[in-house]
Amino acid sequence: MAEDEMSATPNSESIREQGAERPTPNAELRTAGSIPDFKGRTSKILWRTVDLVVAGIFIYAGAIKALDPVQFASDIDNYKILPWPISVALAFYLPWLEIFCGLALVFRRLYRGALSILTALVVIFLVATIAAKVRGLDITCGCFGHASQNWSFPTHLALDLALLAALSALCYCSTPKPPENA
Amino acid sequence: MRSSLVRQILILAVLALVPAVGEAIYFRHKISWRSAILPSEMVTVDQARAWGENVVWVDARPDEEFARDHVPAALSLNEDRWNELLPQFLAAWSPGKKIVVYCSSLGCNASREVARRLRREAQLPDVFVLEGGWEGWLKTR
Repeated sequence: MAEDEMSATPNSESIREQGAERPTPNAELRTAGSIPDFKGRTSKILWRTVDLVVAGIFIYAGAIKALDPVQFASDIDNYKILPWPISVALAFYLPWLEIFCGLALVFRRLYRGALSILTALVVIFLVATIAAKVRGLDITCGCFGHASQNWSFPTHLALDLALLAALSALCYCSTPKPPENA
Repeated sequence: MRSSLVRQILILAVLALVPAVGEAIYFRHKISWRSAILPSEMVTVDQARAWGENVVWVDARPDEEFARDHVPAALSLNEDRWNELLPQFLAAWSPGKKIVVYCSSLGCNASREVARRLRREAQLPDVFVLEGGWEGWLKTR
């Protein structure tokens, strides 16, 4: 499958080029009839909005951490999971990974790759946060630098779960479906 | 299809690596890869003792550990009661005095965090972390 095709989201031109309609929530593929067309358009706008909100959150989170990698290294180290040199390496790397994945969602390039990476990151954050709580560590997640310093554990959890839900939905919608007639 | 997804993931992973390496080079003097604390921000028990009266000892451990025992004349300043204890500490501190923060042992983070907040939030100079913490102090007592 061509790179362009993989990079695209379900509401892209490539779907039409395939000649097969895919029953995705944000498909703009309805041909005749004003109501289905309206539904498809509304659905497209909705999913694009989710795309942009998720992208914005990750770009913001990445930028804040990229500006202060020393603090982020300390935040990672507070989880007491990784040795310090690994925490430092991740403090330099993860913010940029978040930024590039966020940009990929905005510009719809390398789209599914970005969704996969971000989903994996959120799952890791979620597990690490819960593990820290279970071990009795009273720490800040460091997800949004200083902005998240006073967030409670339920707030972290709620945000992570909301992001995970949004990413899962986007992943599901971006997965190519077999043609209905097949 | 799967190989294309892997390719996308790899491309993004490599793209992120480029600015990350640049940033690591840019921040090379501001962060140590060996220890969470820069060597210039650490002080040994002997060095701190040599400063004599010119030092304010800060105990970053929880209240109950401070109550049990602490470095003579040390002030308690932990993150649990930061807003409450910081004014008391600032009242005891005077310009020119060095600040030595300690927590329970070499592996604890509290002293590092308190030292960082004293530098950033209270804008205090000459803030050091005691190497080995309270355990280090006990060994040399």
